[in-house]
Amino acid sequence: MSLDYVKFSGGFEKFMPKEYRDMVEHGPFGKKISVSQMGSFKEILEEHPMCAGCAMTLFIRLAIIAFPNPEDTITVGTAGCGRLAISQAAIPFVYGNYGDQNGVASGLSRGLRLRFGDKPKDVVVMAGDGGTADIGFQQVLHSWFRKERFTTIMLDNEVYGNTGGQESGMTNRGAVLKMAPLGKKFEKMDMLQMAKVAGCAYVATVVPNNPRRVESVIKKAVLIAREVGSTYIQAYTSCNIEYAIPTDKVMEDAKTVENDRYQFTEYVSDEAKQYLTERYGYKDYLPKPAASAAAIPNKA
Amino acid sequence: MYLVANIDVEICAAKSCKLCTQYCPEANTIQYSEDMGRDKGFKYGSAYVAVDRCKGCAQCVWVCDNMAKNNAIKMIMIDQLPLAAVTDNIRYEEKTTVAVLSDPMIVVGN
Repeated sequence: MSLDYVKFSGGFEKFMPKEYRDMVEHGPFGKKISVSQMGSFKEILEEHPMCAGCAMTLFIRLAIIAFPNPEDTITVGTAGCGRLAISQAAIPFVYGNYGDQNGVASGLSRGLRLRFGDKPKDVVVMAGDGGTADIGFQQVLHSWFRKERFTTIMLDNEVYGNTGGQESGMTNRGAVLKMAPLGKKFEKMDMLQMAKVAGCAYVATVVPNNPRRVESVIKKAVLIAREVGSTYIQAYTSCNIEYAIPTDKVMEDAKTVENDRYQFTEYVSDEAKQYLTERYGYKDYLPKPAASAAAIPNKA
Repeated sequence: MYLVANIDVEICAAKSCKLCTQYCPEANTIQYSEDMGRDKGFKYGSAYVAVDRCKGCAQCVWVCDNMAKNNAIKMIMIDQLPLAAVTDNIRYEEKTTVAVLSDPMIVVGN
């Protein structure tokens, strides 16, 4: 939980694999890194066993680059595809039992505050739609109602991809899947609305076909969770296996779905807006200049 | 044999949009080098593929063809690549990487 853990143990440097040496010497720890520099620094994420062309992998890659302080971050996950990649990153990963990731993260986040006081230590939950909206639903909502200060990211592939294609609460109505041959009979759960009702300070939807937007959304969510309250990001990360999307068409699908039902939305509470503006210099949430406000009545 | 992505340095170094580096789902697979391309007299550096990490999904091909409209990336059988970058031969510098190209068949071991 500090820059000390990205160092060599004395005398072991020459025995470490190349990837480890690159991480220590050219990793993003302690530096300001953005997605525009991708390909020119050693990333925290390493090789992993997720499927070729998986949009969830791309999202996880972008998300980890976007963490404001990776050396002070712990990720929490649960069963599902995402954990195959998140666990292969050079930041601590806690693997909860199925569905208890937000409970684990609550305790972890409180413990870190007791131990480190005001020094920011970020906890980020990354779990699939099954872990967040179905099996972990109770603990997710309760952590939001308690205003636990950590970020919850749903990797929404709209299916149980890891177990052969069963429908989840986030599957769209009518979707026919290998293990749901009659089609889903209920609507997709509106987790965004639930997050707002439960009092999340920041709620956003994002699709990984816009890397800069993913970066900006994750940064804001993690920063707000440091002091203001729970934050929630719902990311569309298609399962190209279960939905039979050719791997080279994954981004085309992401674009289509973004235009169709996954438009970028962002809700920021007033307290969070004030916090981002005052503490981190965000200018997007400053009051609009009086001149433009006065122009509206004239137009009418 | 299997397909891996191959970037045409001459097209890439003329445009240098870097979109493929941001859209590849695998970490440190499409890398960027300031030298590659400039040493051939082009304005910019070029992206290149660490072929030992490429899973052959061809997402970069779609991004290069449809978003960047550069058509610089093609999928090629790994044994038909002339010379390629592999992770062991990539060196990181301050703001770029340097790759020594080698025969991928020797390094990947097929």
